[in-house]
Amino acid sequence: MQALEKFQYDNKIVRNFAFATIIWGVVGMLVGLWIALLMVFPQWNIGGIGVGKETIGLTFGRLRPLHTNAVIFAFVGNGIFMGYYYSLQRLLKTRMASDMLSKIHFWGWQLIIVAAALTLPLGMTTGKEYAELEWPIDIAITIIWVVFGWNMFATILKRRERHLYVAIWFYIATFVTVAVLHLVNSFEFPVSFLQSYSWYAGVQDALVQWWYGHNAVAFFLTTPYLGLMYYYMPKAANRPVFSYKLSIIHFWSLIFLYIWAGPHHLLYTSLPNWAQSLGIVFSFTLIFPSWGGMINGLLTLRGAWDKVREDVILKFMVVAVTAYGMATFEGPMLSLKTVNAISHFTDWTIAHVHVGGLGWNGMLTFGILYWLIPRIFKTELFSKRLANFHFWIATLGIIFYAVPMYWAGFQQASMWKQFTDAGQLKYQFIETVTYMKPFYAIRSFGGFLFLVGAIVMMYNLFMTAKKGKLIANEDAEAPALQKLFSQHAGEHWHRKIERRPIPFLIATLIVILIGGIIELVPTFLIKSNVPTISSVKPYTPLELQGRDIYRREGCYTCHSQMVRPFRSETERYGEYSKAGEFVYDHPFQWGSKRTGPDLAREGTLNLKKTDSWHFNHMDDPQAVSPGSIMPAYSFMLDKELDTASTPAKIKAMRTMGVPYDEGYEYMANKDLANQAAKIQSNLLKDSIRVKPNAEILAIIAYLQRLGTDTEKIK
Amino acid sequence: MFKFVKQYAESIDGVNIYPMISLVIFFLFFVALLYYVKKMDKAKVKEISRIPLDDNEQLTDTLIQNN
Repeated sequence: MQALEKFQYDNKIVRNFAFATIIWGVVGMLVGLWIALLMVFPQWNIGGIGVGKETIGLTFGRLRPLHTNAVIFAFVGNGIFMGYYYSLQRLLKTRMASDMLSKIHFWGWQLIIVAAALTLPLGMTTGKEYAELEWPIDIAITIIWVVFGWNMFATILKRRERHLYVAIWFYIATFVTVAVLHLVNSFEFPVSFLQSYSWYAGVQDALVQWWYGHNAVAFFLTTPYLGLMYYYMPKAANRPVFSYKLSIIHFWSLIFLYIWAGPHHLLYTSLPNWAQSLGIVFSFTLIFPSWGGMINGLLTLRGAWDKVREDVILKFMVVAVTAYGMATFEGPMLSLKTVNAISHFTDWTIAHVHVGGLGWNGMLTFGILYWLIPRIFKTELFSKRLANFHFWIATLGIIFYAVPMYWAGFQQASMWKQFTDAGQLKYQFIETVTYMKPFYAIRSFGGFLFLVGAIVMMYNLFMTAKKGKLIANEDAEAPALQKLFSQHAGEHWHRKIERRPIPFLIATLIVILIGGIIELVPTFLIKSNVPTISSVKPYTPLELQGRDIYRREGCYTCHSQMVRPFRSETERYGEYSKAGEFVYDHPFQWGSKRTGPDLAREGTLNLKKTDSWHFNHMDDPQAVSPGSIMPAYSFMLDKELDTASTPAKIKAMRTMGVPYDEGYEYMANKDLANQAAKIQSNLLKDSIRVKPNAEILAIIAYLQRLGTDTEKIK
Repeated sequence: MFKFVKQYAESIDGVNIYPMISLVIFFLFFVALLYYVKKMDKAKVKEISRIPLDDNEQLTDTLIQNN
């Protein structure tokens, strides 16, 4: 018997991340509830509070990215790190390699969150969903992510347990893949300190963005949480995982297949068909490893179901894993073209992501928190009754959230698609909006219940912490790792990899790169993927400025710019969208949700409105379009356009391949003023007076431009 | 399934080979994985799967249960 070495686990870092999880969780859910209410009470949108040259906007378009970033990167992100720092040390029987790196990781991550919370309401956004943070923050994320990874590998290298338990594989895959996704998707061209353009344009930007977006779900919301499931479920049930062999198959097939699934977000769009088909095939196949994991989790409780009735922690975990199972059954179904034709752009998607977010991530986080906090504070939970109350109100909250959204999404799609016997669209778009309102209200109630539960948990856990005393450094002992390891005869290669973190990292990297490369590279190299359309021209300087306002206000969170090739859409919006129409769109603005109508052809045919219509509509949407839930943007009527940025923007666009003539940046503002003057005089004809450099002129110019390029062909 | 992918992939020269290769790679990889998992030493698997439960926490656990 070898002598035992004494050492201490660092629980302080676990506590810090746990408290951050709780606090940011409540903040993120509060913002979620608020934006849900904004869809019922649009008059509560507050836009354009002046801060120097910038404006703070508490409107849906600016707050929705704040909600998604807060719940994904702040709540779930801190939740991952909390669970990871506790389990990694114990699974490896060692303290973290560097307390300093742990600290930098913690404070760096919190600073990034604060930076996000400040810049997003200020309208500083890249305009790409779930990757909205601007370039300086992107760089900070990269640095902090490296700190996290460095510390993890240094810890693995000094471990006292030879074998890397399956949870750690999931942590490693998370680290590697998130790094690759973040780097590839964040290629952007800075035009000022807090503004940049995506380096990719149109179809390519969309493909990269959804390759990233889907894998953010896969490798930020799923794989790390599966790692946590494989550690905390056995801990809470006090029995080993159902099948360790199944977990090996689960791990490798999941990470191999997931990376391909991104294009299912772009079915029926202008993305080349072969890429869409790849996405469908792999998305569908994903159901097998996902369910393998779910079954493995649930069967861990075999023979312990009586405990589930008693133990609130297990209750949370069972609902979490069940929600994971439902969401990963629904996901592959939604990626089938026939189902997607109905679900896409509707609130069905919102229901789907919240079953995953509230159910899987939320409930698992809560379960882990209730398990962890009493342990690191060496005390008993303050109140089991409150924890039980939290469980029931959270479960009810999920039901009240998801059911109305499923119903609403289904109805919405059917109303969009119905024709009268005479062959005309049965419903005006606005009718589908007003129909949704009661459902949005019930959904808000569901969100409210869930938030109440989280606040009760916050109280319960803080009281628990107060009652106990943090064991900042927990004593532990284990034998040192023998340097000379005798390999037993006939041992398989996989066992060797399982013991060696660096080859393991490389194997994981190869597996995820296969999918990424095969999917992305042909779209970039083969020109025929994006057929050019000669009448598609770059935006004028005023339109470009208008487009940046569109992006700043987050219009893409409610309006799509992608007409799919269905009769119901071509009747409503005009000719379906072609890949060649978006070649100058840095970033693409196809959107993923149609709370309002599609705007791809807003400036054409019967969709075209007068300049004064747009002016009045921005000033008071409800007056122009009764029943509308769009926020008012009256501040744009006065706010001056920042024309000083025009030359830099034109130059940036040219560098990225948009064919503006050399030296055009010096003349651009003259053209901008001319075009603005034209719109100004149009408005004057309807007795509307406006400053010659008001932002409203730019946004009108952009909206009037939409779709007009291809109109010229006819 | 192969035919399904090929049909769309054909519209671009040479691109159809990529999904085929990747599907083949995945298939072989998966078969190898199944074979390995089947061959794993049962006693060792049991030992590994107990890693999360094997730590110095008995003390804390008893403390919590007794409370």
